[in-house]
Amino acid sequence: MTIHCSDLAKVYEGGKSGWPALRGLSFGIKAGEFVSVTGPSGCGKSTLLNIIGLLDEPSGGAYRLNGRDVFTLSDEERSRTRRDEIGFVFQSFHLLNRLSALENVCLPLRYAGAGGDEMRSRAAALLARVGLHGKEKKTPLELSGGERQRVAIARALANSPRIILADEPTGNLDSASSREIMDSLFALNAEGITIVMVTHDKELAARTGRNIRMRDGRIES
Amino acid sequence: MIRSMLNAARSGAAEIWAHKTRSILSFLAIAVGSVVFIDAFSAIFHTYERLERQREFSGLARMHIMQNQAASYSSADEYVEPPTFGYEQLKKLREQAPEFHMISGESRSWRNIMEYDGERVVSSVNGITPEWMKRDFGYTLKGRFFTWHDIDEKLRVCVVVRRAPPPPGSKTTRKAYNYTAAYDNLVTHNDLLGKTVKIDGITFTVIGVAEEFPFSKRMESFSGYREQAKLLVPITTAANYGLVRGGGQMEVSIDAGPEAGFDDALRKVNNFLKITFGDGDFFLVENQLEQIRKNMAARLKDAFVTISLGMLAFIAGGIGIMNVTLATVFARTKEIGIRRAVGASRSDIMLQFMVEAVLLGLIGGVLGSALGWLWGVPLKVILNMGASPIKPWMPLISILIAAVTAFAFAIYPAWVAAGLKPADALRAE
Repeated sequence: MTIHCSDLAKVYEGGKSGWPALRGLSFGIKAGEFVSVTGPSGCGKSTLLNIIGLLDEPSGGAYRLNGRDVFTLSDEERSRTRRDEIGFVFQSFHLLNRLSALENVCLPLRYAGAGGDEMRSRAAALLARVGLHGKEKKTPLELSGGERQRVAIARALANSPRIILADEPTGNLDSASSREIMDSLFALNAEGITIVMVTHDKELAARTGRNIRMRDGRIES
Repeated sequence: MIRSMLNAARSGAAEIWAHKTRSILSFLAIAVGSVVFIDAFSAIFHTYERLERQREFSGLARMHIMQNQAASYSSADEYVEPPTFGYEQLKKLREQAPEFHMISGESRSWRNIMEYDGERVVSSVNGITPEWMKRDFGYTLKGRFFTWHDIDEKLRVCVVVRRAPPPPGSKTTRKAYNYTAAYDNLVTHNDLLGKTVKIDGITFTVIGVAEEFPFSKRMESFSGYREQAKLLVPITTAANYGLVRGGGQMEVSIDAGPEAGFDDALRKVNNFLKITFGDGDFFLVENQLEQIRKNMAARLKDAFVTISLGMLAFIAGGIGIMNVTLATVFARTKEIGIRRAVGASRSDIMLQFMVEAVLLGLIGGVLGSALGWLWGVPLKVILNMGASPIKPWMPLISILIAAVTAFAFAIYPAWVAAGLKPADALRAE
């Protein structure tokens, strides 16, 4: 099992007893699966994705990633895990606007200690792979929404992760761009990359191998 | 690690460039600190350098015997004609204190007439002994200087001082020099060595021409006193022919030699005066070592006040950098989240902000050093304040302090940045 959560809970601070976002989730995701997470707004989908991606810490329960208890990892180890094993694709792309497309893709490589021409040629190859050859020097502001999301996918692939976490990856895109992005994600999944995607779109969710439906911080089905 | 630092430096430079106005404001304060520091450094260095030069040039264990002009009498009946410290007394003191490096007696007159080849100019006369050459001798001598034979025989020989031109741009000095321009003209344009001149109508042979060192090599004494000698004659000759007033009354400069024995030397001179002239308090012994020390302490105090101001400017600059870095952290919270998401650790984020701040400090330090040099050298020369002796290590230290200040003041904002939770940072707008 790549991802294994049991009785996962998250309570945000606020009010007398806090605000529970996740109320004891237990599930597992195998390597190579394409899992969608759906549910109404505020049901805890993004919180779950953040915890799976080690961007946030749960308030209770257990979470094992590739067999390791992530609670025992230091910040350094969690950062390394994010860098080497997980790729993120966000709804609002989360690219750095003052960097070029190439530099954005270079970012995870830099943190992995890469540099120089080798790093730049890898980043350029990744951009070419997502169909952005020739647009390496453009900044995100000079690219369309679909192109930005493709830069984000190229960035997510920089350190050859085994898991990609996508939070509403088509949420800000028109239908044509959405199709292209989903095709890219399916292609990556076909290569054996585990994908966990949060989405509101039931049609998209239906196309994935498995759907986890959430409501009020719990798994509905 | 080096690669991370280089990456952070590159990214920091890009950030500084992207936020030019904010960056300029923050490193300006550091630059001001740098300017003040360099000025203070050069002031302190200048003080020590002068002290060293004084030590080499004229020694520090100096004292000066002069008439007590402040001696007061309550009625005319009490008035006693002050005794003369003349050549006989000088010889006696030399016999009693052979260990002293120099005992130089000198009598002066400020208005004498010098005549050469039908040209008459106003000059001054210094009656001196060969000891005069031992200290403060800022001249290149052509011919010879006085011997004790000249003194004992009261020979009519003289040494002419050829004075250096005034420093460029100094209006006051030029004015002072113009006052005696006729004398300077005469000795500059005539080779007087071996010739005869008349001083107050008496014929003298010029045995030496002492050419004053240029201003750049001149000793600048702590008391501000600058030798203004023109015509030098044996002290005995000056008294004998009435070239100086006071009938051979002289002032005596003493160099006791090593500083360690100065207090004993001072006591010895005071005892000599008491034994020779009684309790009349007719002479004063000016402790020049004490004066030099006091003068130096005052200068150092000024320099330390300037350094304190520099420190304050640096602290203000540091607070500016802290403020700007904190503002940057809040403005770039989302970026921090993105960087954390793609694998940056807390230490990577901390390093990034620290490097950015240190870069700001370095730029401020370099700018300040450049401004400090501009102020200390060309501007001070233009303003006739004298160039500061800025050594290469001064800007380097100043840049280092600027960088260290920026580093110290960036720790807290960088720590705040590194402490942000990735998920929270990503949510920031």
